[in-house]
Amino acid sequence: MQANEWSLIIFTTVMQMAVGSFVILGGVHFFATRRYDAQAADTLSDRALLAIGPIVILAMLVTFLHLGNPLNAPRAISNLGSSWLSREVTLAAIFTIGGAVFAFMQWRKISTATIRNTIGLVVAAIGLLLVWSMAQVYLLPTVPAWNSPATVVTFFITTLLLGSLAVGSAFVLTYQYLRGRNNLPSSDTQFDILSTTLRWIVLISLVLLGVQFVVIPLYLANLAEQGSEAAMASISLILDQGGALFALRLILLFVGAGIFSIFMYRSLSSESRTRMTGYLAYSAFAFVLISEILGRFLFYESMIRIGM
Amino acid sequence: MANKLGFYFNATACTGCKACQVACKDKSDLPVGVNWRRVAEYTGGEWVTNPDGTVEQNVFAYYTSIACNHCTNPICVEVCPTQAMHQREDGIVMVDESICIGCRYCEWACPYGAPQFNEEVGVMTKCNFCYDYLDEGQSPACVAACPSRALFFGDIDELRAEHGELAEIAPLPPADITEPNLVIEPHHNAKPIGSPSGKLINPEEV
Ligand code: SF4
Repeated sequence: MQANEWSLIIFTTVMQMAVGSFVILGGVHFFATRRYDAQAADTLSDRALLAIGPIVILAMLVTFLHLGNPLNAPRAISNLGSSWLSREVTLAAIFTIGGAVFAFMQWRKISTATIRNTIGLVVAAIGLLLVWSMAQVYLLPTVPAWNSPATVVTFFITTLLLGSLAVGSAFVLTYQYLRGRNNLPSSDTQFDILSTTLRWIVLISLVLLGVQFVVIPLYLANLAEQGSEAAMASISLILDQGGALFALRLILLFVGAGIFSIFMYRSLSSESRTRMTGYLAYSAFAFVLISEILGRFLFYESMIRIGM
Repeated sequence: MANKLGFYFNATACTGCKACQVACKDKSDLPVGVNWRRVAEYTGGEWVTNPDGTVEQNVFAYYTSIACNHCTNPICVEVCPTQAMHQREDGIVMVDESICIGCRYCEWACPYGAPQFNEEVGVMTKCNFCYDYLDEGQSPACVAACPSRALFFGDIDELRAEHGELAEIAPLPPADITEPNLVIEPHHNAKPIGSPSGKLINPEEV
């Protein structure tokens, strides 16, 4: 494990979380606007949106640590014709800039809601393309452990799972903060938005958890079936050397996205229990975040190339 | 189209002395850990029982000297985000060290371990076929150094016409990934790629 792999672990995980948050936030905002009005929909989501910014900038900066010669970094977008890495870097830059523009417009309510929504939609689409391109980077024919559809599926699970739980945490936090300062306009509506959003987030988490628990064994079985020396070495790195971390990852994922989520769902029955809801939302997010980082760590650890 | 250059390696002549590797390292002044040309030692064997009940061993070993194969389909060039990795008209794959950002992606992709990272300067380096020697009408340092006459270079079409098309034996990867411009005369004990009957025993050297 080289130090520079940490920068890749942080960059890919955090960037995926940011894209997921952006997409989920967009969905929540869309439905909330239809059901209530734009102003009510903005109350909780605007602050959550602003929180994505610093996270993305941090992720972008971390990637520089991975480069042997960071001064040349701008050149990384010059092989769009054939290099997925080039495409990834380009999309990451566009997503960051587009997201920043959108967040600023939304914050200051610049231009009309329709134009803002259109920009938001385009940025979300770019974000999802970014996650797709991130996965393509690892589909190298020379690395059996990565060259699998599981890489693509897992990257999207990370995106939506971390995105959902991050938005959930941000919503409860904002709700409690505004209520504490008696700053909540029409708190019934806001609690309604909060609880509906969290219920959906719980459902999304449970589905993604289920998919992940199907994909992991399929992936390992497929790798074992290939039977090449590199494939077997990768399995051993995940299950033997990395066995304890792998088990911990699965447990944290199950407890965070499964058990905590279900309790969170139940805590939503009354507004008086929002404090409990908060604890559960933060814990679920923290558990899944650690699980995803461990998973990504094992992903890079399991890299064994064929040949010599 | 200019003729493409390639290497011919005769495994039946190679004694594993590694003069090619050392000549390469010396010529390009490579730091510790960077070896553009490497010699893989592949061995295996076990006890076998003959029909008459006697027991015998079938231990084998052979060498494969490998540098960059200046492939027809160079995956390093394909994946490089900066176009630092590029291919010349004559087929030589080169890295422009003034453009490379040192992301090491090419190193992940190449199944021959040809692009190698130089920690001191933070960029990728690799075999350049001693293009400067070629310009002067000389052989690449590795070819010139081989005392067993196991290593040659030349127009790949001519090499193939003379020595055949084989470019994959264990422990090399399948040739269809990058289409290496390499021709191998196999050792009589050569095993097919992916064979479970032997293993690379000097992984720290290659
Ligand atoms: S390390 Fe340099 S040559 Fe290799 S892929 Fe990255 S930029 Fe290209």
